[in-house]
Amino acid sequence: MSSLIIKDLRANVAGQEILRGLSLEIEKGKVHAIMGPNGSGKSTLSKVIAGHPDYEVTGGDVLLDGESILGLEPDERARRGVFLAFQYPMEIPGVTNANFIRAALQARLGEGEELEATEYYAKLYARMDSLEIPRSFTARSVNEGFSGGEKKRNEILQMAMLEPQYAILDETDSGLDIDALKVVSRGVNSLRGPNLGALVITHYQRLLNYIQPDCVHVMASGRIVKSGGPELAFELEAKGYDWIKDEPVAAGAV
Amino acid sequence: MSMETVNDIDIDRSAGDFSYPESHKYDAGYGLTSETVNYISKVKGEPDWIRDFRLRALDTFESRPMPTHWASEDLNAIKFDDIRYYLANGQRPTRSWDEVPEDVKRTFERLGIPEQERKFLAGVEAQFDSEAVYSNIKKAVGDQGVIFMGSTEGLMKHPEIFKKWFGKVIPTGDNKFSALNSAVFSGGSFIYVPPGVKVKHPLQAYFRINAENFGQFERTLIIADEGSEVMYMEGCTAPRFETATLHSAVVELVALKGAKIQYITVQNWSQNVFNLVTKRALAHEEAEVKWIDCNIGSRLTMKYPGVVLKGRKARGEVLSIALANNGQHQDTGAKMVHAADETTSNVISKSISIGRGRATYRGLVHVPKHLKGCKNNTECDALLINPESRTDTYPAITVRGAGNSVQHEASVSQVSAEQIFYMRQRGLTEGQAMSLSVNGFVNDLVRQFPMEYSVELKRLIDLEMEGSVG
Amino acid sequence: MNIAALASDETHAGSGVLQGEPLASFDFDSAPQWRHEVRQEAWRAFQATPAPTRTDEAWRFSPLKALDLRAYVRPCANAEDEGRDLLERSNGLREIAGRMVFANDRLLKREVRSDALAQAGVIWLPLAEAAVKHPDLLEKYFMREEAVLGSRKYAALHEARVCDGSFLYLPPGVKIDLPIESFQWLHGENASCFPHTLIVASENSRATFVDHFQSSAAVAGFACGVNDLWLGAGASITYINCQQWSDSTVAVQINSTVLGRDATAVALNAQFGGGYVRSESVSHLREKGGRSDMLALAVADGRREIDQRTLQIHEAPHTASDLLYKNALDDRAHTIFSGLIRVAPNAHFTDAYQKVRNLLLSEEAEADSAPGLEIKADNVRCTHGATTGQIEAEELFYLLSRGIPRSKAQRLIVFGFLNEAISRLPARDEAVREYLRRTLQDRFSPGDLGRPEVLGV
Repeated sequence: MSSLIIKDLRANVAGQEILRGLSLEIEKGKVHAIMGPNGSGKSTLSKVIAGHPDYEVTGGDVLLDGESILGLEPDERARRGVFLAFQYPMEIPGVTNANFIRAALQARLGEGEELEATEYYAKLYARMDSLEIPRSFTARSVNEGFSGGEKKRNEILQMAMLEPQYAILDETDSGLDIDALKVVSRGVNSLRGPNLGALVITHYQRLLNYIQPDCVHVMASGRIVKSGGPELAFELEAKGYDWIKDEPVAAGAV
Repeated sequence: MSMETVNDIDIDRSAGDFSYPESHKYDAGYGLTSETVNYISKVKGEPDWIRDFRLRALDTFESRPMPTHWASEDLNAIKFDDIRYYLANGQRPTRSWDEVPEDVKRTFERLGIPEQERKFLAGVEAQFDSEAVYSNIKKAVGDQGVIFMGSTEGLMKHPEIFKKWFGKVIPTGDNKFSALNSAVFSGGSFIYVPPGVKVKHPLQAYFRINAENFGQFERTLIIADEGSEVMYMEGCTAPRFETATLHSAVVELVALKGAKIQYITVQNWSQNVFNLVTKRALAHEEAEVKWIDCNIGSRLTMKYPGVVLKGRKARGEVLSIALANNGQHQDTGAKMVHAADETTSNVISKSISIGRGRATYRGLVHVPKHLKGCKNNTECDALLINPESRTDTYPAITVRGAGNSVQHEASVSQVSAEQIFYMRQRGLTEGQAMSLSVNGFVNDLVRQFPMEYSVELKRLIDLEMEGSVG
Repeated sequence: MNIAALASDETHAGSGVLQGEPLASFDFDSAPQWRHEVRQEAWRAFQATPAPTRTDEAWRFSPLKALDLRAYVRPCANAEDEGRDLLERSNGLREIAGRMVFANDRLLKREVRSDALAQAGVIWLPLAEAAVKHPDLLEKYFMREEAVLGSRKYAALHEARVCDGSFLYLPPGVKIDLPIESFQWLHGENASCFPHTLIVASENSRATFVDHFQSSAAVAGFACGVNDLWLGAGASITYINCQQWSDSTVAVQINSTVLGRDATAVALNAQFGGGYVRSESVSHLREKGGRSDMLALAVADGRREIDQRTLQIHEAPHTASDLLYKNALDDRAHTIFSGLIRVAPNAHFTDAYQKVRNLLLSEEAEADSAPGLEIKADNVRCTHGATTGQIEAEELFYLLSRGIPRSKAQRLIVFGFLNEAISRLPARDEAVREYLRRTLQDRFSPGDLGRPEVLGV
């Protein structure tokens, strides 16, 4: 049962239905990619899984290793291992990166447990080095004054430090130049393994050259309309999204 | 002379303890009349000029109306007749540890206040023995010729310095509460730093805790002679468990030519306290005065630290943080009076209103005519946590003459919902996320606090934020 | 004083402005009985209300002795040739929908120049006439908002003494593109006047209104005016107060603007003249979507004192206000800005801004600023700022290096500084912007522009 299962999920934003019965299973150890045109509901899916208060779930379920997480607060979901790399990471003025990640790790410890500072910093520095993030970033406020690429790298750094069970990467490639894309992808790839299930959301096939998915799904109008292997991404890149709209809804994409 | 001073402190204190063995003799009773004032002066064995000063102040206090035409109407709730104006050393009302409310005990626990201090802070013990720490400081500064003692001692032992500046920075009639303090003051510190002496250790009121220091009407006078430097810290982040409902201190600082004074206050009053404090500094040529002021708790705090920039190129600064929770009104601010050319002043104020708390900023910047090259910069930022939270900003700026520049900026904001979601996605609870945000909001100011204060302050903000969400 | 013997307030003409009870007089009071009662009531209120004192927060920094009104006399009728002269001097915008000219509160002329004013339902009348013909509208809108910024006493005096002014009523959906003008002249030594402008804009209507306040000669006078704007849902009003009283005139001008849902008001107070001028402006953002832009510029020179008090009251969620006051101070001038943004509980999603900029050009000039905030809702964006400074040396040097003489360079910079407020008027009011820029330029250097030619009728 080690998987994140999304079952016939329906959700509204401001009274408008965006997800219309979406089903998907992300197994541990696998990387799934969701591609789709703008407005297909990709970002909504990530926010709904993470529990953003603006999104109202009207049907279906999200099961983490067999248990529904829809009734949980966003932070409870996170502590159970759901990580969302934001498309637009927030700035938190006055809170340093090091303190922020530390607070997030501390929140995962039991009552009375304290994070060991030396170990924490050793790990933090190692992860930062591999993501080519300068050490000075530990003392900078979270995302404040960061370039687009720095923000995305910082998201992956947080992911590397928090070691989630399931990670959703929402358009992590947007706004990145090719060099930054390579660094970010390398970071993600280094975290791949039997203990991580990942969902990579992207508009472009380009990212999937660097983070190779096991499965590719196409999303349109709030549903998965087509699923396949990595080759589907190339097909989309070549043909665009228009032809997809004529396809019948993929039956039982789960 | 320095060593003598140190010894004097000890001798005097024990002498004081022995000479008034019966408790009623320390107590001026309830209410305020000229008899109360005479009594205080007599018990303290003060010279006539101080008694006359007190009596004149009493007249001023009585003749002044409550400043409710601009300040909170809540001031009218103060019952001057129900207040005890003088309790000598050792006469804090005591209670047993069992009587201390659980939430206060828990807070001590969470803040990591040492056992011994907890009992004092909770009013269980009248004295706090900090001699071990204090004697080191005394020795260190004593060797440099620094005078550091209680204000009563100061006025008796060093009248030649004391008299010259006492009541000169803040005249008795400055406001109703400075007059009240002038009539009944006891406790507080007197510090004199000789020319050129740079005091390395911060002088802390905290290390010489006793009833007078933590009294209701303390009076502090600090004189930094030419080219000297001193840092003074008062208060602590632990909540004060008070029975007295009125605290009205007067603090006067004098920075002579080229001297530097930093005065740091962190206060966390209990919910029933009116904290009405007058603080002002006189900065002579090229002197620098910096007030760092952090106000938490109390029912109503009114405090506007000021600097009169009297000499050329003098510099004044006020950095303040106010945290207003349910039922609290932090009415704080700063006054900068430019009285010489090329003087500069800087004010940064950050306030946080939680629940139905209210934070008010009042500022005064005055640049009279015929001055050149004066500059003031003021920034006020208010953070509102809950829908019922309230904030006000009332600056008053007067500038005469080209050649001076003054800037005031203020903003009001709330913690953004998206920011909170982002942090919760990383596993922080809503409360933790909110605390982190608020700590971030004040971070650039807190960084200027001494280390131990800033750590305590962060913990305190975490505590205050609890219950503000959900 | 034998009241029965006095058939008309005219009898008091020439007597002190503070003497004599106000009596039913002029057309204004001839029809509805309630007017007479209200006037009596206002007079009693004026007498009962204490004069401002030093400790009064609403009058902080104010030179209170300017408000000694004993020297001023009640309006006198003007000789016919004087009236003609004033009419000729009433030069405003080139193209207008219509104008009314008053001298010492007496109507000299009402001119309709555009058919837009003749549209069905539009009422544009002297106040006195409107009171007779539309008592219901006046009862509903005339002096219905309290003067909350300190001048309750002077609002009462105005109500007791007012006898004419402009009344504009726009029915739903009516848009008048060309500006409507009013001239209010103060004529004669120590004369007084009580100009009133009342604009009621029904839903989705639109108009631009310009009030010109001028003195016929460089003598002392007293003006105590009120301009109230009422905007229904979706209405849009541009209001200009073009103040050019003589340098020895004491003037109190009280404004209240009430905005309904999605209404937008832009008001500009251009303070070109006056000795002591007290200006109180309040915007009530009463319903969702309302937006009020409050603008002002002051050319403060000589011994002029411009005393400006403002209030932005956000009473409903999703409302916006933006205030920009710019003061240029020279010689021994004194300006005061005291403003407050007040956000009521539950007025969430408020956007409120307030900026005052003082430019000091002399050693003796004094600028007082007190920008305030009172916020009782948390989901808001509010900022305010006040700066006081002088011309940047670098900026001046740049102009000098281009060969512009110092005095002219300074004027240019000051012009640019004040022009920022003018530029914030809506684009559709370009003609008004142009007029104000010319007036401003003219104010600095009368020689640079040929007055009649440029500002011709």
